[in-house]
Amino acid sequence: MTFIKDFVNVLSAGSISFLLLTSIFALIIFFNLLNGRIKSAGGFAFVGFGLLMFVAGIFVPPLLYLGVAYFLILFILARLGGRLWDTKVGLWLFVFGAFAFGLSMLDPNFFLIAAKPDNVPIVAMIFLLGFFTWLALRKAYLNDTQLVVGGIPWEKTESDEKLFTWPDLVYTEMLCMILLTIVMIVWSVVLRAPLEEAANPTSSPNPAKAPWYFLGLQEMLVYFDPWLAGVVLPTLIIVGLMAIPYIDTNPKGNGYYSFRERKWEISVFLYGFLVLWSFLIITGTFLRGPNWNFFGPYEYWDPNKLVPLVNVDLSELMWVKVFGTSLPKLWIIREIFGLLLIGAYLGLPPVMAIGPFRRFYRKMGAARYYVGAYLFLIMMSLPIKMILRWLFNLKYILHIQEIFFNV
Amino acid sequence: MKPQEPIPHNYSISRLNLIFALSSLALVAVTGLIVGYDYIRGWKWFQLEFMRMQQERIVQEMQVAKSEENSKQLADLDAQERKNTLELAAHRDQYLTAQKALDAMEGDHYRADQDFRFAKANLDAQRYITEASVVQHRADAAQQQAEYERQSAHLADLQVRLQDVTRRRDAAKANVDQWLKKIKDAEDKKKEITASVDLLNKQLTTVDMNRFSTNWILSQPMLDFVNPVIKIDQVVLNDLSIDMNYMNVPRVDRCQTCHRAIDTPGWESKAEAARLSQELQQKLDAYQIPAEKRKETEDRIAQLKRIQENPNDTLNPWRTHPKLDLYVGSASVHPLLEYGCTVCHRGQDRATEFGRAGHTPASPKMEHRWAERTSLTAGFFPLPGDFAKRHWGYEENEFIETPMYPRHYYEAGCIKCHSAQIAVDRGDDITKATQTVELYGCYACHKINNWRFSDLRKPGPDLSGIAEKTTPQWAFRWISEPHNFRSTTRMPSFFYQRNMIDPSVVPPQERAHNIKLQDAEIHAIVSYLFDKSTHRVWQQPGAGDAGRGKQIVNTVGCMGCHIDTEQVKDEKSGQMRLAKREDFPLERNYGFNLTGVGTKTNPAWIYNWVKNPKSYYSEAPMPSLRLSDQEAADVTAFLLTLQKPAFMTTAIRPPNRQAVHDLAKGYLINTLSDRDAEEKLRTMSDHDQLVYLGQRTIEKYGCYSCHTIKGFEGLKPIGTELTVEGSKALHLFDFGFMNDEKWKNEDGVTEHVIHTVPSWVYNKLRNPRIYDDRRTKVYNDKLKMPNFHLTPEEARRIAMVVVGLTKEKVADSRMAGLDAHTRLIEEGRKRVSQHNCRACHVVDGRGRAIASTIADANFLPPDLSPEGARAQSPFLFNFLKDPTVMKIRPWLGVRMPTFHFDDHEANTLVTFFAEAGKGPQFDTTRGANASPANVKIGQQVFTMLRCAQCHGTTPVNPENPPAPNTADSTSLAPNLTLARLRLRHDWISDWIRRPNEMIPGTRMPTNFPRDAATGGFQSPLALAIDTPQFAQYKSTLLPLFNGDEKELKRTMSDAVALTDYLRDYIWSIGITQMRAASPGGDAPAMAMPQQSLPPATAPAAKSTRNQRGVPAVSGGAGR
Repeated sequence: MTFIKDFVNVLSAGSISFLLLTSIFALIIFFNLLNGRIKSAGGFAFVGFGLLMFVAGIFVPPLLYLGVAYFLILFILARLGGRLWDTKVGLWLFVFGAFAFGLSMLDPNFFLIAAKPDNVPIVAMIFLLGFFTWLALRKAYLNDTQLVVGGIPWEKTESDEKLFTWPDLVYTEMLCMILLTIVMIVWSVVLRAPLEEAANPTSSPNPAKAPWYFLGLQEMLVYFDPWLAGVVLPTLIIVGLMAIPYIDTNPKGNGYYSFRERKWEISVFLYGFLVLWSFLIITGTFLRGPNWNFFGPYEYWDPNKLVPLVNVDLSELMWVKVFGTSLPKLWIIREIFGLLLIGAYLGLPPVMAIGPFRRFYRKMGAARYYVGAYLFLIMMSLPIKMILRWLFNLKYILHIQEIFFNV
Repeated sequence: MKPQEPIPHNYSISRLNLIFALSSLALVAVTGLIVGYDYIRGWKWFQLEFMRMQQERIVQEMQVAKSEENSKQLADLDAQERKNTLELAAHRDQYLTAQKALDAMEGDHYRADQDFRFAKANLDAQRYITEASVVQHRADAAQQQAEYERQSAHLADLQVRLQDVTRRRDAAKANVDQWLKKIKDAEDKKKEITASVDLLNKQLTTVDMNRFSTNWILSQPMLDFVNPVIKIDQVVLNDLSIDMNYMNVPRVDRCQTCHRAIDTPGWESKAEAARLSQELQQKLDAYQIPAEKRKETEDRIAQLKRIQENPNDTLNPWRTHPKLDLYVGSASVHPLLEYGCTVCHRGQDRATEFGRAGHTPASPKMEHRWAERTSLTAGFFPLPGDFAKRHWGYEENEFIETPMYPRHYYEAGCIKCHSAQIAVDRGDDITKATQTVELYGCYACHKINNWRFSDLRKPGPDLSGIAEKTTPQWAFRWISEPHNFRSTTRMPSFFYQRNMIDPSVVPPQERAHNIKLQDAEIHAIVSYLFDKSTHRVWQQPGAGDAGRGKQIVNTVGCMGCHIDTEQVKDEKSGQMRLAKREDFPLERNYGFNLTGVGTKTNPAWIYNWVKNPKSYYSEAPMPSLRLSDQEAADVTAFLLTLQKPAFMTTAIRPPNRQAVHDLAKGYLINTLSDRDAEEKLRTMSDHDQLVYLGQRTIEKYGCYSCHTIKGFEGLKPIGTELTVEGSKALHLFDFGFMNDEKWKNEDGVTEHVIHTVPSWVYNKLRNPRIYDDRRTKVYNDKLKMPNFHLTPEEARRIAMVVVGLTKEKVADSRMAGLDAHTRLIEEGRKRVSQHNCRACHVVDGRGRAIASTIADANFLPPDLSPEGARAQSPFLFNFLKDPTVMKIRPWLGVRMPTFHFDDHEANTLVTFFAEAGKGPQFDTTRGANASPANVKIGQQVFTMLRCAQCHGTTPVNPENPPAPNTADSTSLAPNLTLARLRLRHDWISDWIRRPNEMIPGTRMPTNFPRDAATGGFQSPLALAIDTPQFAQYKSTLLPLFNGDEKELKRTMSDAVALTDYLRDYIWSIGITQMRAASPGGDAPAMAMPQQSLPPATAPAAKSTRNQRGVPAVSGGAGR
């Protein structure tokens, strides 16, 4: 038991869990893991990644855990394949999840965090997110298997039928209303309002947490300058969400679930929503403890825990560590590497438009291609920055304190 | 019509119907859950239970009220009533006639009255018409005028008629009433007797919760909004608001919701009932209760007796508040409606649940019982079953910023309002606690910014002349462990403490290292102190006699402030053991314990110190007892015999060179680089290194906070400021790894740290280094608060003060002692405390620690309780400045010392006494002169009462009056010729009347005892004047009353008049001049050459420089 707890504690460390989630996500989406076809070069690259983790794990034990978890999941998913979308398997997954959760509740530290009245909705959110993602993908999978053999989506088969508003719609809505009311009442009786002490400007709680729906943003603050994480990125999230209908003009999949026909669109959205947003909320809720330190789900939130903060800027990394000189005085020279790097990153779309993404460019047109590409790049800057932080303790790629501009 | 085709549905309707039915039922059920959850509240059970208890008691009382005696009386009354009715029947005709006449009269009266009122209304209207016609010059003016007069006359007639009819009607009514009264009287009497039962019956209905009673129906769910019987009780306090950081909100104390009987007498615990009944009985016996309240008090005592006899003790939360006459009670100074509860107790004012209200357990055991749960639902809502077992479903609520003070710390709540007072009236615990804080000088290291703890002297002696007083060898051993030298010393132990050397918490290797560093630090401190010390040469004493010296020490008053023993008899075991400070009154811990003083210091120093401590340093707290040179020499000889040779034989390890170097470097590299620091150390001699380290070490430990040390003038005190420590959030206290841990203190007591602020402070005080246990810290980061070796009781008291120091601001109108009159008193009280006046005197009813060393109460220093009303301020001022200006009781061994007060301080004290005694500082009665006749009468009375048996009346020199025969200890009293200078004019007669009331136990006899019935004074001469023995006096006195014997007798029985005559006589014989105090109360100049020669006891460090590896204190066994 202790071993499993340690295993989970290590895995849930931000860096590891994020890597695991991202790679598994990529595996499922792009390499058709579920169809049991790990044949492409990318597929082998992932297997290689896992092996690398095993080797690296000899020196850095947590990576060994990562490798183990990686192959474990790989194995299970490969074994399941398309059966993952069977109702029975889905049910089993749910039962397993619920069982693991219930078992975890026996751990006092886990119980303290999970049963905290503020956190109960987030616990429900994990299960609901999992269920609805599974449900949508299941429907898409079923339709896709039909579409492959030239059939029509399931939704189309029933679109000709006509139903009465009463009772088919209104009655069921009313039932939902009643059941929800019951749930809310019981919830409000069983869990008391989590009131704390009177607000005091001179003493803030530790950890000071944003409301749950902003925890993703708060998590971003760890990796980005407040100006970026607090202003630019949230704005772009909203703008980007509004822009989706104009960028994604693919008529396929309208009115029915399909993954095959909307592979990119669904993947990008799900990655942004599940990994970059919901996962960060869950992390912020359950795994960020006093002093914003990371704590595994079974770890005691010790306010005295200290983690060394030894982050460096890219300029320091290059000039001091690589070239062994002091930092140049002029910021434009000092930050030259950062500028180049960012320039190169932002220069990707035009290059890609000529190169591998020719097809997209032609299909979407310049305006839609560039808006979409830059939104995507900015979205991907988050995981990139996170990974750079974990690998190199990188604080800022661009750190121009002279004009308060940090990236 | 053809039948419709069945409509295809997506869902099975019958199944939907079923779901609907089930979910609707579930909705109804959860609606019930809401109602139930809202309805079932823990506090309701407390109210129900209390109603049941009340019901039980009322039924009991009713049985008493309906006792046989009462019922017999009732039967008698019934009989009388029946008799009256019969009598009435017999005179039925007369009665009926009278009634008939009355009825007729009533009709007449009604008519006459109505006629009169109508006529009056008409007249008023006519007046208007008349006036209008005159003003408007109408033609009918004269006619209207006549009409007005006619009506006016008519009204007068009617009024006469009405009065006539009224009179006749009243007569008729009286006639009827005399018949009715007989019946009514009997009925009234009956009502009177059944009143108590009626009242109880009425009360019974208010507490009746039986099924289907009105109360029960009104308390049903959903009905209880109408006029609930069970409801939240609260007190709203607008001016004792709660600071919510952004705004102040009124305090709303709901404690009474569960603590039902908190302000109702009769629900005391047995212990409180026993205490209170005893207290009341004593007051009753001493006639301290006014006559009209005696019956009430007797009833109360009877009630308390019943409580004590009751097999069941009332438990909380239903108990009455203890000391109801002081707290909560409506007649007390802190009535519930004005003060509420949380002002003193703290806690969450609006909460109605046990845990949320902020109840704080006093011990782990209590916490355990509170937290235990009997029923499964206890987590959500505890059920009566839980409460009945006294399991409150307690959970520590980390969000309550002001948890209640746990038991043992209750009086901490007093400080917030009483911090401008030295003593809190009837707050014995808190008074003693603040006194303890003052005595130990906590305020010296920890700033406490309120009146009580500011403007106090440094608790430790001035060290700038330490080389004149003692040797480095002694100083080293003393700093190492002061308690080895004196078990009762207040100097705490800084070194070799738990976090440095205790093998159970410090690994062996680190321990050895720590010892080296600690040694080096002590050597460094000693080196610094002796290096900076002055070297004045003191005059050597002449030959002294130790025996005489001992006599002097024991009699002149030294023992008021000092202790001279380290061995006391343990009360429990009867064995001799090492004394603790607690074995003696606080006042006797003021000065140091005299044991071993001969080992510590040298004859010249002692001699000059006892002669005048101010010559050693001007702030010295010890006053001068005006010892003559010979007396001082004798005392010196005696004190030198108090030796503790064993102390000086303990080994002193020489300082480790490396340790000194490392420590000094540790300080240097704060400002210098490693290389520069090394360089600097190389240029310093070993001695200089030690002195440098000494300076930094004194800074580190904050020695200068308590002692005056050269080079540290004006530095801020070392410790955390405690001004608002009681409001500091729990999470800001560093429990280290000691939360919920047991540990064993050096005195063998096992302590338990629980997660509350009081517990943290208490354990910190018990051993200040305890929170370092199991911590990994570098040497200089380790906790350094010194160990005072406090007993649990002392630590509790000090912790109580600390947790009582909160940031809560109370409006000035609620602060105690802020009015100008009280300020003057409190300033004086502070001086009284600082100068330890209570060592010898009783002030404000407390003190006189010296009493335990003086066998005969007649030789005690005076009780100063009535001093303000007694002493004339000019005299008192003079006397305080220079006690040699008047010897009131020249035969006393104890001397009033010379404190060398400056004028301001002496004035503060004089003002204090005058204000406290409600006597003006300056008044015209000082110049009073009585008529010769009065003086003559007074003289006769004086003789008759044989006052001269004790009091001298021949004029004397106030500085040196003759001492009466000291062997005759029963006939001693002050010479009365001093009275005119010393005593207030009117106080003299008051004193003669009631000496025992002013100073209980005084030797002055009570000549005019009080009459228990009236409370007035009785005169012994009232009857005696007629006896043959007094015939001569009578004949002398008669002419003075113009031969009026009646007047003489009246005067002789009038105690007030007699005592006034006595006063006039005493006033007349008084001397009117006394010597002024020597200016400034200056210390007599000491014969002391001002040269600064290196004394014989120069520190070894100096003499051994360059000879040994490390110069420092040498010494130890065999050296």
